[in-house]
Amino acid sequence: MKSIPKLIRRFVGIMMLSTILLIILNITFFAIVFVRNASTLSPWDMADNAAAALQLKDGGYSISDDLMTKLKEENTWAFLIDNDTRQVVWRTDNLPSNIPMQYTLSDIAKLTRGYIDGYPAFTGEAKNGLLVLGFPKDRFWKHTRASWDYNFIANLPKNTIIILAINIVLIFLIYVAVNSKLLRSIRPIINGIQNLSDGSPVCIKEKGVFSELAEKINKTSGILQMQAGQLRKKETARANWIAGVSHDIRTPLSMIMGYAGQLEDSKNLSEIERKKAAVIVKQSSRMKDLINGLNLATKLEYNMQPLKVKQENAISITRQVIVDFMNTNIDDKFLIEWKTADALSACYINADKDLLKRAISNLIQNSINHNENGCVIYVSVDDCNNTCKICIEDNGIGASDKQIDILNNTPHYLICDTSTTEQRHGLGLLIVKQIIKGHNGEILIGHSEYGGFKTVLIIPK
Amino acid sequence: MNEDYLLNKRILLVDDEQELLDMVLSILTEYGFQNVKAAKNVKEAIEQAGKSRPELAILDVMLPDGNGFELMEQLKKGGSYPILFLTACGEDNDKFKGFGLGADDYIVKPFLPKELLFRVMAILRRSYKEENPLVCLHDSQIDFSRAEIIKNDEHIPLTAKEHNLLSALYRNAGRIVTIDALCEAVWGSNPFGYENSLMAHIRRIREKIEQNPSHPVSLVTVKGLGYKLIVEGK
Repeated sequence: MKSIPKLIRRFVGIMMLSTILLIILNITFFAIVFVRNASTLSPWDMADNAAAALQLKDGGYSISDDLMTKLKEENTWAFLIDNDTRQVVWRTDNLPSNIPMQYTLSDIAKLTRGYIDGYPAFTGEAKNGLLVLGFPKDRFWKHTRASWDYNFIANLPKNTIIILAINIVLIFLIYVAVNSKLLRSIRPIINGIQNLSDGSPVCIKEKGVFSELAEKINKTSGILQMQAGQLRKKETARANWIAGVSHDIRTPLSMIMGYAGQLEDSKNLSEIERKKAAVIVKQSSRMKDLINGLNLATKLEYNMQPLKVKQENAISITRQVIVDFMNTNIDDKFLIEWKTADALSACYINADKDLLKRAISNLIQNSINHNENGCVIYVSVDDCNNTCKICIEDNGIGASDKQIDILNNTPHYLICDTSTTEQRHGLGLLIVKQIIKGHNGEILIGHSEYGGFKTVLIIPK
Repeated sequence: MNEDYLLNKRILLVDDEQELLDMVLSILTEYGFQNVKAAKNVKEAIEQAGKSRPELAILDVMLPDGNGFELMEQLKKGGSYPILFLTACGEDNDKFKGFGLGADDYIVKPFLPKELLFRVMAILRRSYKEENPLVCLHDSQIDFSRAEIIKNDEHIPLTAKEHNLLSALYRNAGRIVTIDALCEAVWGSNPFGYENSLMAHIRRIREKIEQNPSHPVSLVTVKGLGYKLIVEGK
């Protein structure tokens, strides 16, 4: 099944694409969040700004009204620890009451790293001391023991890529494993459907996730087999019926032809009577040809005449057909000319010799039948790369474009399910088409450069 | 060439249809055959064969008490003579079976009297050659038994290939024989690529049988297709 690797390729492709898309989406999302967070001023910057804004004026510290308003909006408070005394020398009005006013070095280290009495604190260096900015308890979380190994930081990009790659490979493996299992269970179903289309009987094990589907396919196969069997039976019955009728009609027709043939040559009869006998012979021969044609056409249509294909020389076969016609003393009105290049002595094709002879013979006979006033029939064989072209044409009355279109495109009434009353063309051409179809060849019907009808049989080598 | 001696050959005709039997009998006797016996079933056919020792049997395939193929095997035990099937069974398998068992020809009904006579004469000609068969041509005679040409009282020998070629042409005297069939007659079952050799042999035969080989009258060319041997009085 050619579509399985294609299916796997498509699955894997979709998976890879979705993974890449997911990564891009995550990075974008992360970037958006990061940028949004970064746009608001960080507490450390706020502390630095506040420290810088603190001014010593008239022996006391003050801060601009704008900054004060902003601190209040953020629900933030601040105080300044003096470098020398380590006492709070300035503070905002909203400083909580439990905040101490005196600090040791270790207190300062603690609050810088973390919290004051549960409030997240941030420090900024002022002119004579340390400005401490305190936020509400639920506003920030601080990492009090943050420290990173330098190697860890240096290897972070590499490690991130490795982890990402491992993740992708892992996802890929899981995906392949899961899909392989799925495909394994689908394979009998696919084979079953393929066999169904070939017309072969199907029997899939009805187990696993697709058991219900398998059951339906088995059931469909049963129905198709039954229908095909019935159709075959009908076709065989029809072909046998035609074969039987044509067999039974042969003996009486033999007597009609035999006696009429004798009367035609009888010297005891008058010219008129002999002519009447000749008409009976001619019409009996037509009936004979019709029976043989009908029999062969039916068998070819229902594949009851298997082709006995061998390597044959198309030139030799065509030459023999022409000579057979010439040896049967065809009317002087009809001339057959061999137009094959002298240099071409062989053109090998895989063909059923008898059927191919029959096809060529039918076409020559058609030229004779349709040109009552006589004609020259030109026969040629041409070797064209991978095909052999057998061309039968004449300088007779030919056919109109409409007639040629009908001959090329309209099915014969024998194999058509509509309009059985309209006779499109004789059995002869139907048989030629069937024979050439059996040889995987092509038939072209058209106008001849000699003025009449032209048929080209193209048979692959 | 006189073929009257063939008309004396004894023919056994077997068919279960009385009317058909009568008709074939009349075709053969009107043509000049004098020793034609008829039988309607296997039993009668075997009895008649024992009595009349036929030299050609014309058999139907479907008979009331057996079939023609079995009858042929039994007749062949009693003597070696050609068998022609004349039957309504036109299936390829029937034909192959008939030929496979040793039939000499197979005619599917319906048939024209001329076709039957042509095939009967062809089989008899192949099977029974005249004691001193001299084939008369326009300017010479062929003596197949001695493999030579008699022209202007001169005896010119034929090579084996020339003999084979002339035999193939004579078997179809008056009819065109294709280049391929002639090559096959001389060089066997894979005869392609011998066209030039064939032309050389034909030229040599013409030198032997024709007065003017450049304007042949007995061995004529049908351009691109084959050759035809024209026999005098035929």
